[in-house]
Amino acid sequence: MADKPLWRKAFDEVDRRVSGPVEAGAHSDLFGDLVTLNVRLARRAQREVERRSRRLLHLANLPTATDVRRLSEQVASLQREVRELEDRRP
Amino acid sequence: MSPSLAPADLLNRVQRDVERAAQRSRNGLRYAAGTSRPKLGQTPKDVVWRRHKAELWRYRNDDVTVKTPVVIVHSLVSRSYVLDLYPGNSAVAFLLKEGLDVFLLDWGVPDEADAGNTLEHYVDDGIPAAIAAACEAAGTEEVTLLGYCFGGVLSLLSAARHPELPIRNLALMATPVDFTKMETITALVREGRLDPDEIVEPTGNVPPDVIENGFRLLKPTAEISQYANLWENLWNDEFMEGYQAMGQWARDHVPFPGAAFRQTTEELVRNNALMEGTLVLGGEKVDLKAIKRPVLNIMAERDHIVPLAAAEPVVDLVGSKDAEELRLSAGHAGLVAGRKAAKVTLPNIAGWIADHSEKA
Repeated sequence: MADKPLWRKAFDEVDRRVSGPVEAGAHSDLFGDLVTLNVRLARRAQREVERRSRRLLHLANLPTATDVRRLSEQVASLQREVRELEDRRP
Repeated sequence: MSPSLAPADLLNRVQRDVERAAQRSRNGLRYAAGTSRPKLGQTPKDVVWRRHKAELWRYRNDDVTVKTPVVIVHSLVSRSYVLDLYPGNSAVAFLLKEGLDVFLLDWGVPDEADAGNTLEHYVDDGIPAAIAAACEAAGTEEVTLLGYCFGGVLSLLSAARHPELPIRNLALMATPVDFTKMETITALVREGRLDPDEIVEPTGNVPPDVIENGFRLLKPTAEISQYANLWENLWNDEFMEGYQAMGQWARDHVPFPGAAFRQTTEELVRNNALMEGTLVLGGEKVDLKAIKRPVLNIMAERDHIVPLAAAEPVVDLVGSKDAEELRLSAGHAGLVAGRKAAKVTLPNIAGWIADHSEKA
């Protein structure tokens, strides 16, 4: 467009040149592997932190993330049972 | 600058630039402070049916000229207010103005209690119950079912599994059926790199940030381009309203219920079951050829989430003799929001629905 400011024209030109390779990179097998690795490492790290902090928190009589998770699972299960009963109501 | 610019034109240009600079500063401050966010989903409506987190809304309309109501089925992973952004940019408001009786099925925000929701939960229970509620509320015997994105997939499956449902017409917007053509967004799970259970968090659902990042990866540089658009148009109040509304929607995803996600990954993505005709729900094979009602398949040519090739086969898969397709030069959200939607998409959709419906 003729009315576009100069900075925008320059930006579009750079974007046009850069976006293709960046997209190709993000859709490559290598990037996919890195994402997978990142997901797995993050999970492992989270588990490790939880395992190490559990004893300490329990010593202070504080709930751990696992305790909270178990509790919310129980609440969710209870909620599901209530729903089932609701659905069965004539 | 053109060398032939007259002094009066030059003066006008300087004046315009000064005004824009002032507006840019004002809007920039408002944007940074977050004080000018448009209120979204404001079209007046009533809840006519509710089950667990799902709600069926009926939008108020005193001027209904098309008797057959339209039931819009929204996706499972995004917020339904994209269909009713703000006055002047609302697909729902447009359809109401065209004389339609509009209902919207919103699935709500799933939590741990919804982690076990399977596709059958939506297809066999949610949609049929919502259709019945819409018929009762509108006093009609049939509805037009209009599915958007994954809501289109659910609508398609519901219509196929329940040919007895009072669906007069089926309209699908940006609805993927050939998941091999959605390479980028499905690649990680399709190729077996990631197991669906590795994405599902302890709540049993896929967290919204995973979904958001998945969409972001489709066009990694898009966010930077959007900031350039913002800077260029910061002076423009109308642009700012749309930018903020769409920006909020694009960052506002909801968790994907784990059980439905596992089925989607296993059947629709890995086995491409809709194309292969191998999808089994509730112990029965789903036969899309059982859909004999008029079908309109609306596709966006510049859709980077559901590419044209992923949505195209719908008309060949259904058993309808009256199956049409509508290709529009728009993006995924551009089908329902923005200037192009109001000028091109929505008039076409409203026209098709009105032509295939009973008049009031």
